[in-house]
Amino acid sequence: MLEIKNLHARVNPEEGETKAILKGVDLTVPAGEVHAVMGPNGCGKSTLSYVLAGHDGYEVTDGSVSFLGEEMGELEPEERAAKGLFLSFQYPVEIPGVPTLTFLKEAANAQRKARGEDEISAPDFMTFARENAAKLGISNEMLKRPVNVGFSGGEKKRMEIFQALMLAPKFLILDETDSGLDIDALRVVADGVNALRSPDRSMLVITHYQRLLEYLKPDVVHVMAGGRIVESGGPELAVKLEAEGYERYAGKAA
Amino acid sequence: MGLPVKLNLYEEALLDALPDGEAAEAIRASGLPHRRVEAWKWSDLRTVLSRLPAKTGVMAARTPREADSEVLALPEPVSLPARLAGLLGGPAGMFVLKAAERFTLDVSASEGASHRALVIEVPAGVSAVLHERYALDAGAFANIALDIRLGEGARLTRIIEQDAAPEAVLVVTGTVTLASHADYAQTTLGFGAKLARIETHITHPGHGARVRLDSAYLLAEGLHLDQTSIVRHTGPHGVTEELSKGAVMPGGRGVFQGKIHVERAAQKTDARMNHRGLLLGERAEIDAKPELEIYADDVACAHGNALGELDAEALFYMRQRGIPEIAARALLTESFLAEPLERIEDEAIRDALLARLRTALEALR
Repeated sequence: MLEIKNLHARVNPEEGETKAILKGVDLTVPAGEVHAVMGPNGCGKSTLSYVLAGHDGYEVTDGSVSFLGEEMGELEPEERAAKGLFLSFQYPVEIPGVPTLTFLKEAANAQRKARGEDEISAPDFMTFARENAAKLGISNEMLKRPVNVGFSGGEKKRMEIFQALMLAPKFLILDETDSGLDIDALRVVADGVNALRSPDRSMLVITHYQRLLEYLKPDVVHVMAGGRIVESGGPELAVKLEAEGYERYAGKAA
Repeated sequence: MGLPVKLNLYEEALLDALPDGEAAEAIRASGLPHRRVEAWKWSDLRTVLSRLPAKTGVMAARTPREADSEVLALPEPVSLPARLAGLLGGPAGMFVLKAAERFTLDVSASEGASHRALVIEVPAGVSAVLHERYALDAGAFANIALDIRLGEGARLTRIIEQDAAPEAVLVVTGTVTLASHADYAQTTLGFGAKLARIETHITHPGHGARVRLDSAYLLAEGLHLDQTSIVRHTGPHGVTEELSKGAVMPGGRGVFQGKIHVERAAQKTDARMNHRGLLLGERAEIDAKPELEIYADDVACAHGNALGELDAEALFYMRQRGIPEIAARALLTESFLAEPLERIEDEAIRDALLARLRTALEALR
């Protein structure tokens, strides 16, 4: 489903620096699989998620990303979203003045339009919203608030998963979705993510810790260090990392 | 006194129509207000008018009913345009608003200069709405002065809807006088003109009187809107709240000159003014001059002024969810500008203005 080959990226020179961050990432996530990317701070995990989503603060200098057999190349973020790519942000952005449901309806219909589909009707959208909100314990009052405004860190993460349920993407990137969550919130969020698992949907779970992975049970765990994938293995790799830390990859960070 | 200025054709035509007196003297001495006059430094009325046809136009000021009376002597005008409106606008109609009255004032003007003065009185204890709409033809200079008086405990919601008029000039001068416990709430939704100036002078007696002075503006290329206001607190325990938010596209220009003046007698005044502007491109311009002038020592006064661009991270977030960049910009701009409009208490007017803003933003997409 997602194939990343020799991906190199740097901070866009217009942003003032030209630091290379991704230095040859190779990663393939087949349909229906959940892959985890673990690694120390500064290894390039979050940059990878931004580059995949098409953030213009980064420049791809080499390599390629193909999604559902199509080259992502220079696609705009909204074009990638319409193709089914969803990024659950590490720090969800607050948008004062835009009610959550207005925002999501606008997003859902923009994606449908881009795919040549009909708009979703307002009643259907509301029914779907209520169903999904119930799965995550999100109240009506929370849905009425402006996007992410006035939510705790954990509530924001829950709203990210709610948005994913509403937009039903083909590929989810979860960027440190576990950070800032207590153990109960983590379980709710993990249940929401597990509800999204299906044979035609894949996920890339970026995390620091093994905790979330106990719930999500990834098919493959990758270790990222120095802007590259340095080791891949089964779920047992996450357990080993939790016990041993990332120190032994330090030498490969170059 | 320097030498009299060389008048342009527009000023000559105005002088021909004017009786001898202060206004004529002022024009002979220094012409119409221009950019070297401090209060007009960002809105050069003289130069802009010199490019319009120097002829007499017709202003239609449609009201829902006849005036209650005609006023011959207006109080001392606060500016030269206000003086011209009184002298050239014919007898000023005076309307005494009734309880719960919704008074609409639909102003249109044809090519050429036209003037009008009106008096709106809200008697003690009466609560009413004044809803002004300005739509001008190309080449029009519409100059209107409103003298608004609120009696004790009176409440007035004043709404000013100003349509985009790229080839016209509009000056609206409001002079507002409040009695104690009066409540005056003014909200402007403006789209600018070749030059539009909405000037508001409020005399605030304190003693439980409240003023809200808000605006939202959206200016496309070639459109200019100047909002100038002065709130003068003359007695204790007065409250003033001001919130203006504007978004300006490349080639548009917003001007905000807000002043709150607190006299020595106006202790315990609570006055806050906030102006925030969004510059939607490199050639967008907003000039802002917020001022507090305080002579009382026991007051709570504050002003804020911030200009910026749309939040890049919010834009990326919205685009990541599939909203195209242009739509994301419009949605963010709408949410920014909606705040002052959401403070309008009258639900029907609030919804109508929010819808108007949305339509305007869609047209710019």
